[in-house]
Amino acid sequence: MRVYLRYAVRETFSNLWRNRMMTIAAVLTVAVSLSLVGSALLLKQSAAQASAQWQQGTRVTIWMQPTATTAEIANVQSQLANLPIVKRCEFFTQQQDYNEAIKILPPSESKVLTVAAMPPSFRCVPTVPANAFTVEATFSNQPGVYQVTAPEQQIREMNHAIRVLQIVFLALAGVLLLSATVLILNTIRMAIFARRREVSVMKLVGATNWFIRIPYITEGFIQGLLGSAVAIGAVTALHTWYPLHNEFQLSMSALLGTNAVVLIVGVLIGSVGSAIAIRRFLDV
Amino acid sequence: MIRFENVSKTYKNGTPALKDISLDIEKGEFVFLVGASGSGKTTFLRLLLREELPDQGRILEAGRDIGELPKWRVPYLRRNIGCVFQDFRLLPNKTVFENVAFALEVIGRPRTTVESQVPQILELVGLTDKSNNLPGELSGGEQQRVAVARAFVNRPLILLADEPTGNLDPANSESIMALLERINRTGTTVVMATHDKALVDRMRRRVVELDRGEMIRDQVRGVYGIDEGVTL
Repeated sequence: MRVYLRYAVRETFSNLWRNRMMTIAAVLTVAVSLSLVGSALLLKQSAAQASAQWQQGTRVTIWMQPTATTAEIANVQSQLANLPIVKRCEFFTQQQDYNEAIKILPPSESKVLTVAAMPPSFRCVPTVPANAFTVEATFSNQPGVYQVTAPEQQIREMNHAIRVLQIVFLALAGVLLLSATVLILNTIRMAIFARRREVSVMKLVGATNWFIRIPYITEGFIQGLLGSAVAIGAVTALHTWYPLHNEFQLSMSALLGTNAVVLIVGVLIGSVGSAIAIRRFLDV
Repeated sequence: MIRFENVSKTYKNGTPALKDISLDIEKGEFVFLVGASGSGKTTFLRLLLREELPDQGRILEAGRDIGELPKWRVPYLRRNIGCVFQDFRLLPNKTVFENVAFALEVIGRPRTTVESQVPQILELVGLTDKSNNLPGELSGGEQQRVAVARAFVNRPLILLADEPTGNLDPANSESIMALLERINRTGTTVVMATHDKALVDRMRRRVVELDRGEMIRDQVRGVYGIDEGVTL
């Protein structure tokens, strides 16, 4: 067994090195296609996260002027209390809004904020989502009100954009994954061709089929693995630096899940590519 | 050791390669397979290696019908059969030692076995001092001796040789034959396909002659051509 392990590892790496140009091409194609898959998955989760927040959370926010007087705030508050289409409301002081902003915004933006510049706000849940627009119309021009935002529409538009983007990403990824598989298949075929003398001697002296095949399977497997490693790096970078991350607060587990999918798909296409090559070109 | 029972083989393009061959080869026998090109000698050897299956009849090796062997057992069958070819089939980028060792490594023999067996077999074929040379640095006769060493290092029960002297001059042919005889004396069954008339005539071993797939002669102490007027 030890002998075989040493043999298989040696063969695998010498094959990878011998066909290094093809290996690089295959690994890069796997990496690009899996990066697209990973991004599509992250986008999907971002969208789901955004929708979930919107479902349970605020639908209408009435932002007061930072300079609004206590009387103006009390006026808005009493009106909201008497409005039947509003289920419940919560008042956020300037300090509370400031704390929230610090949490949500990246440090580069949040550090210019001060408590005094923050608008106090009412976070209201209307009885039905459509009423958000009535609330918006009622309060937009009242004294002391800075702005009324109903994120429903925005989120809807964003979700739509994300869905389109996701379909485009996945379609591209599909095509690229296919070509990655073909590239891996071709690398393995070349490796088999380069070793045809060895292979024929091995068959002659009675090496078992798996003994002959395994180095080529591991070769494809490693190409898939390398490709997904690069893709995982790209997806993690995207997760860390892309602004969507901050708005939707994707959790670490979402990233890990995405990376797991990327890894599995990468290893899978590597193995499938080499399995096909072996079936077709390594007749033992 | 080897038994053919009414074996026929026709290739897909319709050419019959072997027609109704029946014969027995005992353990430890030395058999020459003679006949013109295309007479079926190579098919005969390929059937023994189970590279082909007969269309009709059965082939038994060591009492077992090799046609009934599951595909995954075939490599184990081949471990009992050594092979030598006209074109040597050595690996050009491996040394003499590595070429012979390769045959043991790929059937999973441990390093200690390799290190003890290979020098021993290289000594048998007289190439101890060339063990670190590449095949390209050897003469044809030496290369063929490496091939014989590789075929025999695993101590197979049967040694098949397909025109092993076909590319060699008479002196080298002679040394290969001496080697095969020596291997035969250890109890290994040797089946050798050849065109070399002088060699067969001198050896006086069993001769099986094929002609267009038919066995036209099976002579215990034969010569190459039946027309030579040998009386039994």
